[in-house]
Amino acid sequence: MFLKDSRQALQYMLHNVVYATRFSPCGKYIAAANKFGDVALFSLTAALSPDTCDESKCPIFSFNVCQHGGIYSLTSTETFLICAGEGDIQAYKWSDIIAKNPVMSTALGLAKKGVFSHPEINSCVIRTDNSSSTLFAGAGDNLVHSWDIESGAYLDSLSGHTNYIHTVALKNEGRGLISASEDGSAVIWDLRMKEAAHVVKPFEHDMCARPHMGQWLQCLALDEDNYWMLLGGGPTLAAWHLKTLTPTVTFDTPGVAQNVAMFYEDKIFSAGTSNIINHWSVTGEHKMAVPVSPSSIYSIDINTHSKANKVLTVAGSSDKIDVCTNFGYRAFSLSFMPPS
Amino acid sequence: MSKEDAADGKKKRLLKAEVVSNVLGISEPKKHKPDASLVKAQEIRNIASEEEEAMERDPQLDLNLFQASCNFLKSAIRDVKNLKANKTDATSEINSIRTDATIHFIHMKKLNRLAHFRCRKVRENTNEAKHKIDQCHLQLQNLLYEAMHLEKEITKCMEFKSKDEEIELVPVEEFYLNAPENISNPGTTSGDAHLQMLARLEWELEQRKQLSTKLTETKKSKEQISKEIQAKQDYLETLQPKLTAILQATRPVQDYLSMPYDAIKEEQQTAQHLPVPLYVLYMQTSAYKDACDKCLKVSITGDVDASKSLSTWTFEPDDESDSDQEDQEKQDTKRRRKTSEARSQEKKNRVLKKHPLSVILEICTEAFFLKVRCQHILTLSPTDGTELQLTFCYLIALNIITVNVKFTLSEKVVANSVTGGDLISSDSILDELYPGDHGNDSPNLANHFELKKHGLQDLSTYIPLIGRPYLWCQWMGGLQFLKKDMNNIEETVAGDESAGIAKLSAVRARHSISAANMQKTILLLGERIDARISLLQQLSSLERSIIPVSADSVKMFPAKINAQLSVWRRSTFEDLQSLPQAEKFIKAGLVSSSDMIFLAIIDRGSAKMTAYVVLTADCPQVAPIIIVDIMWQFQRTALNDVYVMEMEEEVNLHFHELIIGKSRKQLLPNQLQRLLMCFDVYLETDTPASSLVPVEIPKEKVIPRTSRGPARSKPYKYVPELGIFTHRCYN
Repeated sequence: MFLKDSRQALQYMLHNVVYATRFSPCGKYIAAANKFGDVALFSLTAALSPDTCDESKCPIFSFNVCQHGGIYSLTSTETFLICAGEGDIQAYKWSDIIAKNPVMSTALGLAKKGVFSHPEINSCVIRTDNSSSTLFAGAGDNLVHSWDIESGAYLDSLSGHTNYIHTVALKNEGRGLISASEDGSAVIWDLRMKEAAHVVKPFEHDMCARPHMGQWLQCLALDEDNYWMLLGGGPTLAAWHLKTLTPTVTFDTPGVAQNVAMFYEDKIFSAGTSNIINHWSVTGEHKMAVPVSPSSIYSIDINTHSKANKVLTVAGSSDKIDVCTNFGYRAFSLSFMPPS
Repeated sequence: MSKEDAADGKKKRLLKAEVVSNVLGISEPKKHKPDASLVKAQEIRNIASEEEEAMERDPQLDLNLFQASCNFLKSAIRDVKNLKANKTDATSEINSIRTDATIHFIHMKKLNRLAHFRCRKVRENTNEAKHKIDQCHLQLQNLLYEAMHLEKEITKCMEFKSKDEEIELVPVEEFYLNAPENISNPGTTSGDAHLQMLARLEWELEQRKQLSTKLTETKKSKEQISKEIQAKQDYLETLQPKLTAILQATRPVQDYLSMPYDAIKEEQQTAQHLPVPLYVLYMQTSAYKDACDKCLKVSITGDVDASKSLSTWTFEPDDESDSDQEDQEKQDTKRRRKTSEARSQEKKNRVLKKHPLSVILEICTEAFFLKVRCQHILTLSPTDGTELQLTFCYLIALNIITVNVKFTLSEKVVANSVTGGDLISSDSILDELYPGDHGNDSPNLANHFELKKHGLQDLSTYIPLIGRPYLWCQWMGGLQFLKKDMNNIEETVAGDESAGIAKLSAVRARHSISAANMQKTILLLGERIDARISLLQQLSSLERSIIPVSADSVKMFPAKINAQLSVWRRSTFEDLQSLPQAEKFIKAGLVSSSDMIFLAIIDRGSAKMTAYVVLTADCPQVAPIIIVDIMWQFQRTALNDVYVMEMEEEVNLHFHELIIGKSRKQLLPNQLQRLLMCFDVYLETDTPASSLVPVEIPKEKVIPRTSRGPARSKPYKYVPELGIFTHRCYN
């Protein structure tokens, strides 16, 4: 993105959409990625310090990762920040980014199949077991691809969806994987057999189908015990019992599709195509609706790496990334600025 | 005196007496008194002889005789007394004594007389001697004086300086070297300094004589030359009227050939009377015209005489008893009590006084068009007759340049735009030529205080009166004032180092400032006119619900666009302000109250899109901003529908794709066309409200993938080569 003048920078900020945020392993920083392929690094310590000023709400550093399109997913290992979206999956060392000198360590790319078939990566998860680390990526070509992170070698793909994959999540300490897709189905994969174990289609289920909204599934989350699974999108957000694969509780948001959801302690947070974060109890009771800056929310995240900086961040279609210290209201906003 | 001499003297005296008596005796018969005269002569003789006698006799002896006679007299008296006392009859004795005493008495008388004579004689002698001494003394004095005078003369002579000492002579060595033998004569002169000097003087004289002759000769030749010069001068002077006549005769030819050399010359003379900033402006503009743009016209109007008289004028607004005011008051005593309004009016006129001369700059757009054509090989409709006339005035008291704009549109330009009528109004056409430069406030911050001091309002209230003091006018006139808003204007003159330096120095008209900004400003002016005309044409077309997409741009869009522009009208900032979706644009400062806001309504079936189009003054250099609101089933804006936001992004942020080459002229139609296209895509990819309701909007576009990424973005991007719609990720 070439920014000639301040007017264009303002336009950039007005039309900015942050798709993903990720806390650094040390918990002091937060990285955010937007639709222009830029990644900005904010210092939480500075923003949360008592003598904070407006400047500490701005990125301490930002850089371009992908010139051609957005970054849709940020994943973190102990040392790397993995950016995925349009183009290749790129890994940067956290320490390099913090030192304001990002050097791309690894790039994982998919083979091009045609002029307009270069798929995007919408979601990534990393499975770490004793011997190796594997990256699973839900892609625009309806497949879940996997790479070996250490060697960068392409491993395999899981096929079965009929439309692109929105979200992937690991299950049972990496023995299984769940993917939610635009086609409206969520597939539970058996990674050992490399085949679909179960397919769930909420749009067919009376409890949560919303035909006027659509059938896609974007929202996918599992609780710690892998007992419940949250699925939402076009259909109403619902908690599915993993053993029986039936929806038990719905969290109704009329006219609003839920893009993200997460379990936190005994609560469920969800947000979507409105400027509201919903707090639910596991029984489906709507506890709270917290208004935030973005008009559409694509990322909510809680910093679990650092107790001092334990905050909830909310990002979406705005240049503002809202930070909630107490999860019930917006404390302040970080401002995503274009790289200079 | 010896005794003999005395005897001689006595004899002479006796002789003299006899002579005298003889002379007297001759005359005796005539007198008839012989006895008396004889006695008298005897007496005179006696006196004379007595004088001589007195001389002859010894005074000491006479003294003794006198004392003896005295003593005798004393004794005689005593004897007589004694006799008288002793004898009663002693007459004889007494008579004898008396006789003796008488004799002695006579003797004494004689002695006394002699003493008198002697005394007189001595006195005479003394006087004589005294006189002699006096004479001698006088003589001595004279002599002394003479001596002194002579001494003085001598010293004078001694001190006398000869002329020759003042004459600078050639050194001796040179003298012997150069002087001819007959003058120098070394044999005799080398030994004798005096002769040497004489010889040298003679040589000097000789040389001087030579030089003086030379001088006279040179003078003569000089006179001759000057005479010649005079003659030539006279000849040349006679040429002047002839030349003027010739020039006068060539005027029609010049006019005919449109080469107004004379007019230029005259104007340059007039330029001498311009105030400095206008002079800088005039000069730099003329220079620019000559160098780069022949089709500019620069001229000077106004009263030259008034400006000549003004050259001594100084600004004294405080001076209440101004001379002309006094005159007026004398003429009409009633006016003495002027109303305060009249007074303030007068004061206002004084502060806002314009210099009588002003510079007119005419920019012909045809020229600009031609130039553009040469540079970009574009075929543009020539619009001859369209002309921008800028009249630059200088406010003497405020030290700023203001500009009055007159814009005449060519008859050939068909642009009867109702909505954009003010686009070419003289007040707004040059608004924001540079970002933020509205020409409302005085660029000279000092003016604020100046006006306040005189109880006047802000300068903006007088703009209809004086014209607009745009910043670029000041730059053209070489005036650089301190900036009010650093950030805002910094960008405009970025790279202009002189501006930064000038910022710190006092405000004086400088050519460097003018020159640094001239080209850019003239280009901007040309671009502005150009932009306004094309904008006007576009608006007039839009009012007829036609989006004037040019032939160059049409291939950027699919052949068939179903959405239709149905309404194009003017809106207001207040209307826009009431829209929640416009709030972030206003907050960010991208839309301000000075912008022109239009409303476009775009229809497709039952779906209606309302687009607020914001044009800034510097459109299309600053891209228009479009704020959208869609009414389909329910109201959708960027606030509740991320796809609407993406649509806005397509036109507002990615407008660079819509610029062909370097010309931004087609930007607005292209933006609108893209908006229509996106609206089609939006409607065709929208999730059906219900599968039961028949689909109103048929899917006509070739769309490989309807959504992509977490935001499920819509494929707003058209690929003209393939005629398909895709997502914005491979640009």
